Amino acid sequence: MSTLRERFNAVIHFKKPDILPWLENVYDETLVEWLQQGLPPEQVTVIDWEMGRGGTSLANMTTVKGFNPYPLFGCQSLYGSLLQVDIGPIPRFKQRLLKETDRHLEFITETGAIARRSKTGKYAWYNMPMFVEFPVKDRETWHKYRERLNPEDPRRYPKDWDSEGYIKSFEAYQDGNTMMRFNGFYGFGAEIMGIPTFNLMFYKNPELIHDMIEYWEYFTVETIRSAVETLRDRIDVVYWWEDFADRHGPCISPKLFREFFLPHYKRVIGFLVKNKIDRILMDSDGNINPILDLVAESGINGLWPLEVNSGMNAVEVRKKYGDKFFLIGNLDKSELAKGGQAMKKEVDSKVPVLKEKGGYIPGADHVIPVEMTLERFKEYAEYIKPMLVY
Amino acid sequence: MTDALESIVQAIAKLDSSDNAKALVTDALSQGFSATEIAEKGIRQGLQVVGEKYEANEYFLSELLYAGSLVGELFELLKPSMKDHQLERKGVIVLGTVKGDIHDLGKNIFKMLADSSGFEVHDLGVDVEPATFVAQVKEARPQMMGLSALLTTSLVEMKDTLDALRTARLKDNLKVLLGGNAVKKEFGTEIGADATALDAVEGLEICKGWTKK
Repeated sequence: MSTLRERFNAVIHFKKPDILPWLENVYDETLVEWLQQGLPPEQVTVIDWEMGRGGTSLANMTTVKGFNPYPLFGCQSLYGSLLQVDIGPIPRFKQRLLKETDRHLEFITETGAIARRSKTGKYAWYNMPMFVEFPVKDRETWHKYRERLNPEDPRRYPKDWDSEGYIKSFEAYQDGNTMMRFNGFYGFGAEIMGIPTFNLMFYKNPELIHDMIEYWEYFTVETIRSAVETLRDRIDVVYWWEDFADRHGPCISPKLFREFFLPHYKRVIGFLVKNKIDRILMDSDGNINPILDLVAESGINGLWPLEVNSGMNAVEVRKKYGDKFFLIGNLDKSELAKGGQAMKKEVDSKVPVLKEKGGYIPGADHVIPVEMTLERFKEYAEYIKPMLVY
Repeated sequence: MTDALESIVQAIAKLDSSDNAKALVTDALSQGFSATEIAEKGIRQGLQVVGEKYEANEYFLSELLYAGSLVGELFELLKPSMKDHQLERKGVIVLGTVKGDIHDLGKNIFKMLADSSGFEVHDLGVDVEPATFVAQVKEARPQMMGLSALLTTSLVEMKDTLDALRTARLKDNLKVLLGGNAVKKEFGTEIGADATALDAVEGLEICKGWTKK
């Protein structure tokens, strides 16, 4: 019988596993709802030993490290074992409250943006903040921000980096995939400049965009170099966060993608492939159909989440692109949350056919939302699990 | 259409530089075209072509934002030669993101396009209470209302806003358009909205259809 990691690796290389993996990612606030709906806390809480609260005491204490609900349902977390290389601004901006009204909180984030959050909403993260100001506005503010993006900063790597133990633990991990995650070229720009300004600058100040993208390529490669050259194919998959599309289509046109992004994708992916890391997953919500030819040309060969509400259909992508992409997700989360026939119809329309074609791992078409009740998720789990066996 | 106005249409449609487009507008003014003619047959026509290219998947968000920014600059240039009443108003829209939702990216793009296309837009901002929408409808007497929501948890507020309009007996003469990532067409039908738009350009076309004479 294969391990979960072996199954994942088989599928993303278009080989047949004994059992198809099933990957999900649950919002923390969905989990809180589920705990209130009867999910047994003792079965999902992860408690571990650590030296007194971050090294303040020599006494070893037990600490709640988080929650792991996935094994209880028979699925795995999308993220598996994540390599802890820090790609953020160092030093971080100090997160602090700037303004408070009876309905909103305005605060500066660790990446230097000013975000507004609703006080009246039931959920904190799930009611996503609205970003009202970004740290990079022009060339001058970009150069200032860039000072925090030094790839040589030793704080980017874990304290025990390079130790044999670290490498062995990465080798020994079998409960899912091993993953390295970083921001893509669009994701990085939109994060520090905001979507409207970043998109506008492709026309208003293309030299600035070229400069930013050029630097992000250098920063990415030099930051991950040590990890990539040390761990090589012990990293099963690279997860590239982009989020560059909405329901209409990509935020940037294929023409801009080719001119501004494509050469940089190719160089970063060339560096990864040279080090035997050949599975590159792109995370983008929205309708990415119009840009998929170029995504394939860049060397990216995996897609998640394939949002149904934006017109993505994994069966169609498989038909058009063959084995150019391994696919994860694409089960309409709102249909799954309805349960009953709606859930069954959605699962039946994709899982059996894609399972036979290979290179597909089922899962919801994004993170499991708070609308999905515990009962409905259990029903979905019971329905999908028998389908996973070959 | 004359060459001068057609050049403005083409400059916007091809996303020319701001300097070039401004020079074309200045040139048209010096040739004796009125600001109204330039706005209607040049600038707005150019924006219409950009919208068509967007719907045809030839242009995407970057192009739409740049065209909106360019058109805004051209209208600024025309302002001294133009009084507001000279431009035909296509209709009045009350717009806002519903209660509990503070996101406005899509709403702002719609506002920019609707404004540049000749609609009078009353933007109430984000996190808007149903009672505020009702009060604004009484005051501005719009033909249309645009409700936006990014979060699925805000969908209930769209229904509450529609219910509040019905209770105040304001819905019968008002077309309601829903937009935002959380909204599906089936949901719009379910709660009795008149239309649901996938994106800002589709929303604008729906409003144009409602006000077509």
